[in-house]
Amino acid sequence: MKRLACVVTLLASVQLAAGQEESSSNQITSAFSPVTWERLLNAADEPHNWLMYSGTFDSQRYSRLDQIHNRNVDGLTLKWAYQIPEIDRAETVPLVVDGVMFVTEAPSNVVALDAATGRQYWRYEHELPDDLRICCGRNNRGVAILDEMLYMSTLDAHLVAIDARSGNLVWNREVADHRAGYSKTAAPLVVKDQVVTGIAGGEFGIRGFLDSYNAVTGEQEWRAWTIPGPDHPDNESWAGDSWRTGGSPTWITGSYDPDLNLVYWGTGNPGPDWNGDVRMGDNLYADSALALNADTGEMEWYFQFTPHDVHDWDAIQVPILADIEYDGETRKVMMWANRNAFYYTLDRETGEFLVGKPFAKQTWAEGLDENGRPIRIPNTFPTPEGVVVSPPIGGGTNWWSPSYSPRTGLFYVNAFDGEQEYFIRDEEYTEGEQYTGGGGNQVLPMDNYQSYIRAIDPATGDRRWEFPIAPRSTTGLLTTAGDLLFGGTVDGYFFAIDAVSGQELWHMAVGARVHSAPLTYAVDGQQYVTIAAGNVVFTFGLGD
Amino acid sequence: MRTSLLLGLTKTVLIAALIVTGGTDAPVAQETENPFVTSVDVRMGLRLFRQQCGRCHGRDATGNDETGAPDLTTGTYQNASSDAGLFKVIREGIDNTAMIGINPNASDQTVWQIVAYLDSLNVDPGDVDLPGTPATGQQVFNGKGNCSSCHMVNGEGGRLGPDLSRIGERRDPDELKTDLIDPNDEVNPRWWQMKVTRQDGSVVEGSRMNEDTFTLRIMDDDENLWSFDKNRVRSSERIETSTMPSTEGTMTASEVDDLVAYLFSLRKEN
Repeated sequence: MKRLACVVTLLASVQLAAGQEESSSNQITSAFSPVTWERLLNAADEPHNWLMYSGTFDSQRYSRLDQIHNRNVDGLTLKWAYQIPEIDRAETVPLVVDGVMFVTEAPSNVVALDAATGRQYWRYEHELPDDLRICCGRNNRGVAILDEMLYMSTLDAHLVAIDARSGNLVWNREVADHRAGYSKTAAPLVVKDQVVTGIAGGEFGIRGFLDSYNAVTGEQEWRAWTIPGPDHPDNESWAGDSWRTGGSPTWITGSYDPDLNLVYWGTGNPGPDWNGDVRMGDNLYADSALALNADTGEMEWYFQFTPHDVHDWDAIQVPILADIEYDGETRKVMMWANRNAFYYTLDRETGEFLVGKPFAKQTWAEGLDENGRPIRIPNTFPTPEGVVVSPPIGGGTNWWSPSYSPRTGLFYVNAFDGEQEYFIRDEEYTEGEQYTGGGGNQVLPMDNYQSYIRAIDPATGDRRWEFPIAPRSTTGLLTTAGDLLFGGTVDGYFFAIDAVSGQELWHMAVGARVHSAPLTYAVDGQQYVTIAAGNVVFTFGLGD
Repeated sequence: MRTSLLLGLTKTVLIAALIVTGGTDAPVAQETENPFVTSVDVRMGLRLFRQQCGRCHGRDATGNDETGAPDLTTGTYQNASSDAGLFKVIREGIDNTAMIGINPNASDQTVWQIVAYLDSLNVDPGDVDLPGTPATGQQVFNGKGNCSSCHMVNGEGGRLGPDLSRIGERRDPDELKTDLIDPNDEVNPRWWQMKVTRQDGSVVEGSRMNEDTFTLRIMDDDENLWSFDKNRVRSSERIETSTMPSTEGTMTASEVDDLVAYLFSLRKEN
């Protein structure tokens, strides 16, 4: 029966992907079937599902569904809403598997819903200690799935495995000691029979790493430190013992190239965030893109975007992978719009720097040299009196997922033209205490600034168009085969614009900040678009 | 030109994101009054605040649009009405919100010093020696200054400028004086003016009550409310200066001092 459900839904997806009309039929089979490794590898071929945080291993956040397109999107209506009982700011990207949606909630809970109605199957509530060390809210951004098991990060720095049919806890692994400032908020990434998962805590003087765990047993397979130890020559990029407390967390989900067998993951700020005097040097591999062998965790290459960062410009953005025409040949590239306000195209086989241009307002670098290293402008480091620099601490962009549409060949990013007054201060490290060495003041009320969705040609870094948002957006993006781009705003809009032209097509007031990323899926022939806003998960579709 | 005062007030009182979820009448500390209130404690509290709290609430405690953490400089807190209540919030956090308690290893003294710092941000008007007289300032406000034509105080007055009923909690005397003399020094985006030209060429102007990517709401000079879809108007233009006239040339220095004294006295009525 389970196998039949899978076949029925797959057929529906093929028809949807082909743009054929699909008559709605009652689902007479059971929902959900195991998500094998082969299904994950070919996730793009079943666009009725959303099988991992960024949709597919290349993290393009592009769906082949086209029932909703740029000529009928103004007919979207609300299909259902799910109220998250815990009050916080939802950052979840749900997964959808054969009619079942898995939604994570603050602080570290997950609920399984009927994806067509929003009604609950089961709910898992993770018990947390009362002495958490978290910098930036009680967030959780999603789960990963393999076969019949869900994997979730928790705020107390554990990785848990949950039975996808029942919500029962299967195993619970401590990844790091939360009392030392470690926490976990990001969706893991399943690679083969492993669960690859990052760590947060860059404001607490942690030493960052990326881990892999056996998906069945929960045993650790490998750990890749994001700050090399003293037995490695790159350790010399940290003054003295500063590497021990140098941060470089891995708090957003990475990507995977099955042909190269490389896991790509971004690293966060060096610590303390704003006082670089105590950690002189480039501070490798903070603020970097890492390419790791998926079987061993060994580093194939790295690219550091912001050497010796003193502005908290984490490089934890989701790497988007695609093969594009560059300089007359097809190249396997990685696209990356960084928090430091520069857009980069890298060769993902070698890490070679290909393209680099600002995509948002920046006042800290004259540009990038031939290797992609920034040429700093003097007097832009934080001072005791304060210095105003663009981008702000929140960055030219941040952790909000970008998108790439193979139909348009454009990379889409949520950009912010802002600024910040940066300060430095002396600070001693104490385990479990915040260790930031400074901070920032907002210079003007937010309405003085502007966000944009910017469409970038990855072969040149040039902007094709921009869509202004007044004043702010902090959402991820989604593109579809219907030539749509979905996003949201901090003042509570969910919208669709034309992915080709950037023209507005549809918007809906959802009443609270959109601080997550949209996804699309289909059940029983009906395409849906889902977004979390405030503490509510909204799902839209075309009217009957 | 309308005659009004303080249309240029700009201290951004950030929308509080934390939700009231429980009482604060059961302090953890045995003391109900802060035993650590010396200037050294305030300085220590400042340092600790920046380290422990500044990332969300801002280095200067004025809140943060990015994190949604509220402004703590207004003297009014959503979840505490006393020093003991503040202590409890800092120590335990607020359930079901992003506000978590301080590191459990922090001493009571540490928490009280942060309370002392937050208290230091709110000046008791009785402790401030000002050259003006509040009662005289009130007469100027309602008389010669004609301030009440635009500003409401305790339910009486106009709607074309900010409600000033509790302005003394948000602005210190120097800031108030600047607001009066140079209203364009900083203009809160709420009080920018908008000029909207409709498709038929007619124009509606008014103060910017709320604007977003797609829509706009304003109040015109006759206090009418308007809402526009930006796709259905020819243009909408921001005018980022204040409509409030400066007191320079129309008021004496002592009248300005009196106005400042009056405005600084406007606080929550106990």
